[in-house]
Amino acid sequence: MSVDFTLLLPEFLVAGLAFLVLTVDFFLPPHRRNGVTASVTAVGMVGLALFSALFLQGKSDSLYQGVFLVDSFSTFFKAFFLVLGAGVVLMSVEFVRKHLTHPGEFYALITLSVLAMMLMAAAGELLTAYISLELLSFTLYVLVSFAREDPRSNEAGTKYILLGAFSSGLLLYGISLVYGSLGTTHYLDIATRLFPSQMAPTTLAGLALIVAGLGFKMAAVPFHMWAPDIYEGAPTPVTAHLAVASKAAVFALVLRLFSQAFIPALDQWQIIVAILAAITMTVGNLVAITQHNIKRLLAYSSIAQVGYLLVGVAALSHAASNAIILHLAGYAFSNLAAFMVVIVYFNLTGKEEIKEFAGLGQRHPFAAMVMAAALFSLAGLPFFAGFITKFYLFTAAAQAGLLWLAGLAITNSLISLYYYLVVIRQMYIEKPEDAAPLRVPVLSMGVLALLVAGVFFVGVYPRPLVDVIQNASEVILPAVTALAAGR
Amino acid sequence: MSLLHFQVLSAALFAIGVYGVLARRSAVLILLSIELVLNAVNVNLVAFAAFLDPTRGLGQVIAVFVITVAAAEVGLALAIILQLYRKRASVDVDKIDLLKW
Repeated sequence: MSVDFTLLLPEFLVAGLAFLVLTVDFFLPPHRRNGVTASVTAVGMVGLALFSALFLQGKSDSLYQGVFLVDSFSTFFKAFFLVLGAGVVLMSVEFVRKHLTHPGEFYALITLSVLAMMLMAAAGELLTAYISLELLSFTLYVLVSFAREDPRSNEAGTKYILLGAFSSGLLLYGISLVYGSLGTTHYLDIATRLFPSQMAPTTLAGLALIVAGLGFKMAAVPFHMWAPDIYEGAPTPVTAHLAVASKAAVFALVLRLFSQAFIPALDQWQIIVAILAAITMTVGNLVAITQHNIKRLLAYSSIAQVGYLLVGVAALSHAASNAIILHLAGYAFSNLAAFMVVIVYFNLTGKEEIKEFAGLGQRHPFAAMVMAAALFSLAGLPFFAGFITKFYLFTAAAQAGLLWLAGLAITNSLISLYYYLVVIRQMYIEKPEDAAPLRVPVLSMGVLALLVAGVFFVGVYPRPLVDVIQNASEVILPAVTALAAGR
Repeated sequence: MSLLHFQVLSAALFAIGVYGVLARRSAVLILLSIELVLNAVNVNLVAFAAFLDPTRGLGQVIAVFVITVAAAEVGLALAIILQLYRKRASVDVDKIDLLKW
């Protein structure tokens, strides 16, 4: 059996990019480091996204006996993560210049985290999935504590690594039990050996621990306690990266794992995931109402979004898988846009309390408009990305017979509108203390414009994206189709 | 010595580790408790490999990976905790409360 190593080219090139950034950083005078390394990283990632999409298009193979899978699902996510990574780098430039040191290491770590995400989407086996998840976590631990002189960042880093390592322990114990009871760690072999009618207690415990470990990583209630603290303490671009890209990566892993390995036992875990989804979105939305720091608000709002995504996982089908990926894309644009406004405002004023956003509509109408669009999209209002993606998601849940869950999710979206409107009220109705107009740098304006364009693109004309996504989720769900035919 | 013995040992180590994570207040001791959890995993993996999968021994391969990752994790965690200690002169998780839990 010959292995086509060229299929690993995108991963090797991304790893190479990380080292290139570090090397370039080494040869530059300090005042030029930030600009040059950021440009190299952003251009490199966009280039590699195009390269991966074109080079891997239509290719499908499994390397190393199914450990590493190349198919339209992993190809879509590779390009997606690279684009998100480039977005985060562009969002960071001004922030790193003003608030952080060592820009080269910062961008190299973001590149490595993107590499880990790409591997997570491609892993076809539990150990590989675990190792790539750890690579992602390690880079994020360092990025969260990157503001070394800021005690809040130190504290967030400490909490994150302790809870993250603990959750990895749970996940690993689950993996060891699954390996012990089924004798394999390959997704497809797990699916053939998992007989729902006679599942050993060891297997069940293993599955439960894997769900708990992944629940920690995606910040699902009741495993969410770390998220608000870490989101508040981390440097804001890192928070955006955590809230968007790393969450999307965990969902890519979960989608493949559940639809290729655990699907035969769907009836056993469906109700557990459904309950997890229900409490996650309810707690996330209710606690968000009481927040006064914008980063904590967005943290709880992203917990609620995890709840919506879990609705899709509980209703796992072809339609639900499409909806999850589409929602991830819409959520990525909306949440990055919201975080970009927070970053821009923090760079100019050093403020991040919700009431300190008073009068932003007057001081910088465009930034306030972007924030409003992003928040409306997160709430799920029509014409914004969130509406169409949630529509697909909840329809899929209703089709799978989880009508109560779809109803609860819609109720939750209405609750979320309340606290998003609180922010919008501050920006447009409250009077600012200092009414001087803000001067936003050109680069930040460009990033804001791109992100808000993305929000409207997904919301108004999702067709091209939906086609790509349908193509991507087809490959991971042959099992579902077979299951439906067997019933 | 049967497989059950090893499974009980592993489960006990796991339980002690989880208890330590929840009960200890020093960040370093929490880290040590996490190491116990990871070692419980290793005992499990090696025992499963020896009893159920003697020809391939996949479990032992996974255990080697786990040991490597755990070592890297400790290095990183201690570096972060050290930085915290430099700023606060304390590693008590009850006292690091700038961000409320």
